[in-house]
Amino acid sequence: MSKKHLIAAALVALPMAAAAQNAYVVGVSAAMTGPVAGTYAPVVDAMKAYLEHLNAKGGVNGKPVRLVVLDDQAQPSRAAANAKQLVSQERVLMLLNTSLSSTYAPMVAEAKAAGIPLYFAGAVCPKDTFPPADPLQFCSTAFGANLDSQAALAFVKAQTSEPVRIGFAAMAIPVSRGEIDYAEGLSKTLGMTPVEKQITPPPTPDYTPFATKLKDANPNWMYSWAPWVSQVRTFEAMRRLGWAGRYITWAHLNAEEELARVRDSGFFVIGTNAFLEDNLPVHAEMRAVAHRAGLSHPVSYLTEGYVAGMVLESALRNTSWPPTSQKLLAAMNSLKVDLKGLRGGPLEWTKENHFRTRQYYRVWRWDTSANRVARVQDWRPIDVQR
Amino acid sequence: MQLFVNIAVLASIYALICCGYVLIYRVSRVLSLAHGELMMLAAYGLYATASLFSQHPLLAVAVAAGLALAVGAAVYAALMWRMTGESVLAAVLATIALGILLRGLMVLAFGTQTQYPLRDLGWANASFAVGSARISGVGAALVLGTALVYGGLFAFLRGTRWGLRMRAAGQNPLLAAQRGVRLHGIYALAWALATFTGGMAGMLIACDAGLEGTLVTIGLKAFPAALVGGLDSLLGALIGSLIVAGAEVLLIHYVDPLLSDVVPFLVLLAMLVLRPWGLFGSREELDRV
Repeated sequence: MSKKHLIAAALVALPMAAAAQNAYVVGVSAAMTGPVAGTYAPVVDAMKAYLEHLNAKGGVNGKPVRLVVLDDQAQPSRAAANAKQLVSQERVLMLLNTSLSSTYAPMVAEAKAAGIPLYFAGAVCPKDTFPPADPLQFCSTAFGANLDSQAALAFVKAQTSEPVRIGFAAMAIPVSRGEIDYAEGLSKTLGMTPVEKQITPPPTPDYTPFATKLKDANPNWMYSWAPWVSQVRTFEAMRRLGWAGRYITWAHLNAEEELARVRDSGFFVIGTNAFLEDNLPVHAEMRAVAHRAGLSHPVSYLTEGYVAGMVLESALRNTSWPPTSQKLLAAMNSLKVDLKGLRGGPLEWTKENHFRTRQYYRVWRWDTSANRVARVQDWRPIDVQR
Repeated sequence: MQLFVNIAVLASIYALICCGYVLIYRVSRVLSLAHGELMMLAAYGLYATASLFSQHPLLAVAVAAGLALAVGAAVYAALMWRMTGESVLAAVLATIALGILLRGLMVLAFGTQTQYPLRDLGWANASFAVGSARISGVGAALVLGTALVYGGLFAFLRGTRWGLRMRAAGQNPLLAAQRGVRLHGIYALAWALATFTGGMAGMLIACDAGLEGTLVTIGLKAFPAALVGGLDSLLGALIGSLIVAGAEVLLIHYVDPLLSDVVPFLVLLAMLVLRPWGLFGSREELDRV
């Protein structure tokens, strides 16, 4: 490179670095477009809106928080390129992933190489965030492998006096299949009889062939832990075939809205985020923030992103100026965030546990007589242990 | 009995989608790789008209169908017309670019949230008994719609002047042009009909399972059925769809649900080994490809 080029590059880089030094900079790689964007884009949009609101109030420690969002379309190659760009050009304090699990490996590699924290928000929590946690990986996403199935099957057992004949539905992606395999094994230890397991490919033009097999096995309960489309379509196809049993599934971002669409009292959702029907003060705040930011997503979709915003704020608040990744890591290793009722309790990270120390579950369904979403089980805690 | 119903519904989905691939290929020799996106665009058209004419669902469906036809013709007029005389590869690449553009525009215009056009139309997807089996309302509409589309197309191609011109343009465009057939009009009609049939599949799938980004992939998943039947044969598309759907449903039921994703391609591979031009395709078409 010639001397002229070097000077030009330095002139371009200097203001960028200066700008970066005036703010806490967090780099996000997310599936903002592409087939699965419906799951991830609302998380990032809500987090951005939260941080804009925070900046308008004066930011953190007197400095603004700058979120650099790059779209990976849920493609690993794009996630890898994004991570490189965020680390080398944007010089971010932390990487944040809101995308499919297939994008994790390149981002983990980049975070390790740079020695900066990698935070999963709205994306499935990798095993490395559970105790004993990887030093660099953190997660605040509502769902957690194994714990969710433990809570769901405990609910099924508590609800049923007759012998449980349970069927399982998953999507043909590793994380969903792994969880359903775990649940199938767990069901046996709880005295249930697993009768059938169907794994649907993403995407599927018609869920009826899978539902036919499930219905023919005659389960009185069904459990599904998969992306929402697979969970709800399998249920709807089974109902159309005349199946009359009960179905429990994970409460994704859209669960509250979907319960009102499906309107079936035998369709239960289990989750760890409060629903808007609770009408908490923080929900009013979320509505106002979403309105100011002009978000098009229903407010019920924003909880996960709002939680991520609160976690980021808390972690950055404990990172004194000038910030370094090491200071931020230290703050994240000892974090307790009051989520104002959006979950059953505070989110707590320790050096050993980057998932949370305690997970709280609620169960909802549609109450046909009251014509509204009804809570069937209130917060029930499960301690997250090694 | 339920398995037969399941096969009929899945085959109808594939057949409606394949119909578009075949129409365009048969008439203009172009393989449209934007078919999935056009299918999804038509489904978004229904979503838009369902919101606009929420009190008049039949009007909303009719306008959406008309829009699908218009979009197909517009794609030809705005893009594919300029590909005339270029290599087939250039035309195929143009459809890929069109697909990417449409995907981006749809996210910008409609967002990423799942939409439910059937609910917006004020209709429910109830199921009813067919002998000992059950079929959903949308499933029945798919089977009926496919029968009408294929019946209509066979009648159109064999019994009308425009149909005859379309066949002539497909068989020998130079000779057809010399006989006064206006090729651009024929090609535009083929694109319009292809987008209409694919769009119909998109609208019905969206009514059954909601409208979201994965619809594009379903458009591609039907492609092997068209190849199995023969890319230049409508009858082949119908039979190919039945074969692929039959294999898929039976393997899901009797062997392993995970096979459903690979079955269409297994059938396709077997066909390529045994009869590369497909069941009802023309051998010389393969040479052209």
